[in-house]
Amino acid sequence: MADELEELRARVREWLRSNLQPAPTFALPQNALTVQSEQQLDWLRAWQARLYDAGFVGAEWPTQYGGRGLPRGAQRTIDQELARAGAPFLVNNVALAWAGPMILHYGTEPQRQRFLTKLLRADEIWCQGFSEPGSGSDLASLRTRAVRDGDAYVIDGHKVWTSLGRFADYVILLARTDPNAVKHAGISYFLAPMRVPGVDVRPLLKLTGEGGFNQVIFTNVRIPADALLGREGQGWELATATLSFERGASEGSAGASSMGGVGIGELIALLRSAPRALQRDAAVRDRFAALAIEATALRWNGARMRVPGLTADRPQALPLMAKLAGSEHSQRLTDFGLELSGHDATLWKDASTPGAGAWAHSYFNSYAGTIAGGTSEILRNVLGEKVLGLAKSR
Amino acid sequence: MTVRLRYDEDHALLRSGARRWLAERITPAELRRLASDARGDDPACWKALGELGWTGLLVPENCGGAGFGAVHLAVLTEEAGRKLLPAPLLATLLAGKLIELAGNDAQRERWLPRIASGDAIASVAHVEPSGAWDASATTCALDGARVSGEKAHVWAAPTAQLFAVPARESAGGALRIVVVDASSSGVTAAAESVLDPSRRQGSVRFEGAACDVLAGDAEAAWRAWSAWAQMALAAEMAGGADAALAMTAAYAQTRVQFERPIGSFQAIKHPLVNVLVAIEQLRSLVYAAASALDADEAEAPLLARLAQATACEAYANACSRAVQFHGGYGFTEDCDAHLYLRRALASRPAFGGARELRAAVASALLDADAELP
Repeated sequence: MADELEELRARVREWLRSNLQPAPTFALPQNALTVQSEQQLDWLRAWQARLYDAGFVGAEWPTQYGGRGLPRGAQRTIDQELARAGAPFLVNNVALAWAGPMILHYGTEPQRQRFLTKLLRADEIWCQGFSEPGSGSDLASLRTRAVRDGDAYVIDGHKVWTSLGRFADYVILLARTDPNAVKHAGISYFLAPMRVPGVDVRPLLKLTGEGGFNQVIFTNVRIPADALLGREGQGWELATATLSFERGASEGSAGASSMGGVGIGELIALLRSAPRALQRDAAVRDRFAALAIEATALRWNGARMRVPGLTADRPQALPLMAKLAGSEHSQRLTDFGLELSGHDATLWKDASTPGAGAWAHSYFNSYAGTIAGGTSEILRNVLGEKVLGLAKSR
Repeated sequence: MTVRLRYDEDHALLRSGARRWLAERITPAELRRLASDARGDDPACWKALGELGWTGLLVPENCGGAGFGAVHLAVLTEEAGRKLLPAPLLATLLAGKLIELAGNDAQRERWLPRIASGDAIASVAHVEPSGAWDASATTCALDGARVSGEKAHVWAAPTAQLFAVPARESAGGALRIVVVDASSSGVTAAAESVLDPSRRQGSVRFEGAACDVLAGDAEAAWRAWSAWAQMALAAEMAGGADAALAMTAAYAQTRVQFERPIGSFQAIKHPLVNVLVAIEQLRSLVYAAASALDADEAEAPLLARLAQATACEAYANACSRAVQFHGGYGFTEDCDAHLYLRRALASRPAFGGARELRAAVASALLDADAELP
């Protein structure tokens, strides 16, 4: 099995040698949350389709749904090689990393047949409709309604922070089907079409000044009744499962969802080429080493997560802390890189500009990591309660 | 990243056996009894450790030991650290490892069976009175097969029967590792008054004491041994930190103020989660370092330093929060939090404190262009 994976690794490397395309003439965004133009989208879609056709997306998924049926560890091996080669990210991120695994696990046979192959190839783009203006950390207070009407549900409501919303063909949507049930019990989960009458996507600017972020207003939107995933009222359970994929706590992603931007490698490069006085500064070196240690520990957390004997005492800890620890590390690291950039950091440049441009964008974007999919504060509650057994916070 | 984490049924069995035995045998009451004992450890307990095969865990089979590796060592010291085992087990295991690394076959056969059987408590006397811990700083001098000089903060002194000592053939001469029998004439050991009574230490003076000069490459042996020592201590500290976290979390579940368990307050809950995250990261680094040592990977020394640097911070912080979150009770002798705090603080300088280790890490990555392990 280890041999099989090493063989796969060699095949990916070989393929990348002849198929890794030069960057386009226009700037590519750092991640799927920042796609702003059709031009960017088309280029990234074509890239994902090529990777899919080569067998590198959905590698572990069953073949009847468009996957390759390879053994556990195959997708991770592919993702590692893509990251190593600096390959562009996979644009259908929401679909590959969480909507897709949800359909695979909880969908009906027709739903699997209908959606999975198309999302693997980026033929259909997905977005996520969970948060609302009044429902962020307290997600279960959401007010979007879904009312059954014959063979349809009628959706009314307002969703926010919808990355890829402008380009999406489908949305994983949480809506309240039973207004009389207690908070968590009245929610249902839909695989809803976006390109239907009554869906109004309005762009929001991110703190970087870039688009890519949206709000979506649903007004009297009719969606087919078979868009329901699972049962009516099962939405909260399914939302929790989705968040577990989103936070990297569950395995099953169909492809690399790694965020672009800068990391410990870039910090090392920055310091290796820094002026001597800065490079020799004891305080700089101490803070750098602390970040390097943290980056190494995060990598080994990932390895240890797959060794049951080494997680037996607290099997939930590593999965539940992955996003918290990773995103806060990135935030500290990019802040430090920006600080080390000195006056260069006072300039606002394109994200693809090496140096200060990349550091500033990465630092600003790091807040997506510490907020989206459960804020660091909410995750600390979850860890405290689920892993340490502490009483619930109110 | 070429290292693969190693952990199998054997390791799991050692862990469950050790955990069970330690939970029965090492209680807070026993720790408090030994804290006021002049010697500081219980000879009956030491005898039991030998019978369990723990003192011979690393000793090669042809010298009477089990011949196990670094992951076994990590498991055992982590479990011992959980209970603050008040016995010179880590000191003895590490002294045996240094003799194994620096000695030839005859020398291993001379010394290691005594360690494996539990017959001899052994310790590496490496810290200079100045506080420098690395062998390169040793001021102990050799004159043929006699050693002179002084070492401080030596674990298990004056109880230990064997000392492994880094010494130089002459000022600026070659480094050697020598073994000294504590009963030889010219050896004077004295107990120090210690912050952590669960791990005793003392000063040792050598005045022309007879010694066995180990025949191997002392520089290479010392470098390899440092990684074993840092990894093993980091594992012990991970166990202690975890125990401190567990007792604090348990207290936060039962202690009620403002009509609620205090663990429901985010002012308590969130810092405890920070402790948890640090411990989990520490354990990942410990087992990465141990696996690298067992596979003889080049990354092992760097991983061991990363683990030890992390341990210094994680353990002290876990104990600081343990004292604080037990409130007024945490400020009393009755509360076990200070027992762990003492061990955490006293462990930090043994093989380079966090700042020194981070400086070494920065050097490796920035000056020597090492890859992140």
